[in-house]
Amino acid sequence: MSGTPLIQVKNLQLYFGAFHALKNVSLDFNAGELIGLVGDNGAGKTTLIRVLCGIHKPTSGEVWFNGERVEKFHPKLAIDQGIETIQQSVGLCDNLSIARNFYLGREPVRRIFGIPILDFKKMREMSTRVIREFGLRDNVSADDEVERLSGGERQSVKIGRAVEFKNRVVIMDEPTNHLSVREREHVNELAVALKEQGLLVIYITHDIFQVHKLADRIIIMENGEKIEDAATSAMTADALEEVIRQGGRKVEKREAV
Amino acid sequence: MAAQGFKRLVRRHSEIGIFLIAGLLVVFFATSSDGRWANLYNFATILQVTATLGLMTLGVALVIGTGEIDISVGSTFGMGALVYLWLALRIDPAIAMLAAVTVGGLIGAFNGWLITKTGTPSLIITLGSLMIFRGIAIALTDGFSFSIPYAARGGFTYWLFGGGDILGFNTGLIWLLVSLVVLMILLRATPFGNRLLAVGGSAASAHSRGVRVDRIKFSAFVICGLLAGLAGGLEAGKLGFADGSMGRLMELQAIASCVLGGCLLAGGRVSLPGALMGAFVLSSIQSYLVVMGVRPQWFILTLGVIVVAAALGDRLLRQWAVKR
Repeated sequence: MSGTPLIQVKNLQLYFGAFHALKNVSLDFNAGELIGLVGDNGAGKTTLIRVLCGIHKPTSGEVWFNGERVEKFHPKLAIDQGIETIQQSVGLCDNLSIARNFYLGREPVRRIFGIPILDFKKMREMSTRVIREFGLRDNVSADDEVERLSGGERQSVKIGRAVEFKNRVVIMDEPTNHLSVREREHVNELAVALKEQGLLVIYITHDIFQVHKLADRIIIMENGEKIEDAATSAMTADALEEVIRQGGRKVEKREAV
Repeated sequence: MAAQGFKRLVRRHSEIGIFLIAGLLVVFFATSSDGRWANLYNFATILQVTATLGLMTLGVALVIGTGEIDISVGSTFGMGALVYLWLALRIDPAIAMLAAVTVGGLIGAFNGWLITKTGTPSLIITLGSLMIFRGIAIALTDGFSFSIPYAARGGFTYWLFGGGDILGFNTGLIWLLVSLVVLMILLRATPFGNRLLAVGGSAASAHSRGVRVDRIKFSAFVICGLLAGLAGGLEAGKLGFADGSMGRLMELQAIASCVLGGCLLAGGRVSLPGALMGAFVLSSIQSYLVVMGVRPQWFILTLGVIVVAAALGDRLLRQWAVKR
């Protein structure tokens, strides 16, 4: 693909104390691509995307977004630049209503005597539309606290929120966890639709067979390293699965040489 | 049916318990004190005490809402009282109150800055500042007290800051009601309030949505300090004098008020009217023990027993409400 990549990662290193979580990772991500990021537990997938969405600051290495080097890392900056992330374990506050969670950090306001007052009507309308679209139970309203929701419903709120605010990049970390078969299909269709609208979609999963059907390119990680980066047209899902299976050994071999 | 509806009410509003307890206590105190407790003069006194404790409680409730705690407010209160008296006599009560509130805010900023920059638990930092500012207050007064002579206790601004009454009620009550309305709007209807509750509910989730968690916590400590300074100034205005021990142990009453009022110590759930009702209940109990002539050595023990009983009653009510 021609032109500058939308996101470029160069020689990324990240240590948590003595633990080497990301080892010299270099990657390009282009707009209009759906990328499957695959690997076993602890491979560094989530750590990598947490750098991209500003939660973790890399120990060394560079991140470039849209041709500019990223100097500061904070989720607020990433969101402002148009990176929406569906996190696996965080993202919703149980004690707040769906509507309040939906707009957390970017609350719409009306100014009354100069004081920013939450625009409850807008918050309620938009989040209600999204939770209906995602098929939450009919008796769930936008004013209900997230605490009331099932695992699938929580996931739907997160996905709905990311899609609603979609901007340039949507990162999905195990988006189909907790979802029923039909909900899963819906999410996968959404991922493809976003890509077709010209967004960069990074889709993290364990399931190589599922993502191979959707993705343009598959990146495989293992022990904090990138061990494969191939177009889906170039490698079959079976071949990629074999790479994952051999992954650990292949890395050891490379280090030994 | 009615019981079901009531259960739902209790589940949705954690502050219901304290309103019921307050109602029961008021009836009990009124009927068992032969008119000594339930009279207008005594109510005015209870409400004056509620005003200063309540202002402090509102600030502590915001900090508890973020999942932190501030136990230094008793000393902040004392500093506010001393600053107010010292300047009210020399310059003007309005300037003095501004200074008292500012000093409170600075103490809050000191706490908030240390806690958010170093990641040290707020319990230990504010325990330290509780001692530091109590020490400064005692050193400033040097064993004596600050006071304003009766002749100087006139003027509109002295009246306005706790030094006078309106319709029989201390003017401190005005400041409490204004603060309550402002803070309720802030907490429920502004982006800041939404983020504050989010931080208390899950700081990691709030952070992932771009909320500047440290700034929110810092702001909560500053507001808490401002209110404690204001409360101290009002109390000093009411009494006309203050010594180095002003506000001692009040921090514990403020925290008890919050918890009784339905604020979750873990953060994320705050009821400002509930917390205020908690402060009212504590003030009422104290007043009852005083008018009933309970001997001082039994006073604190009795107060403690009633607080524990009220807390257990509230807990039982909530457990009943979550049962089907």
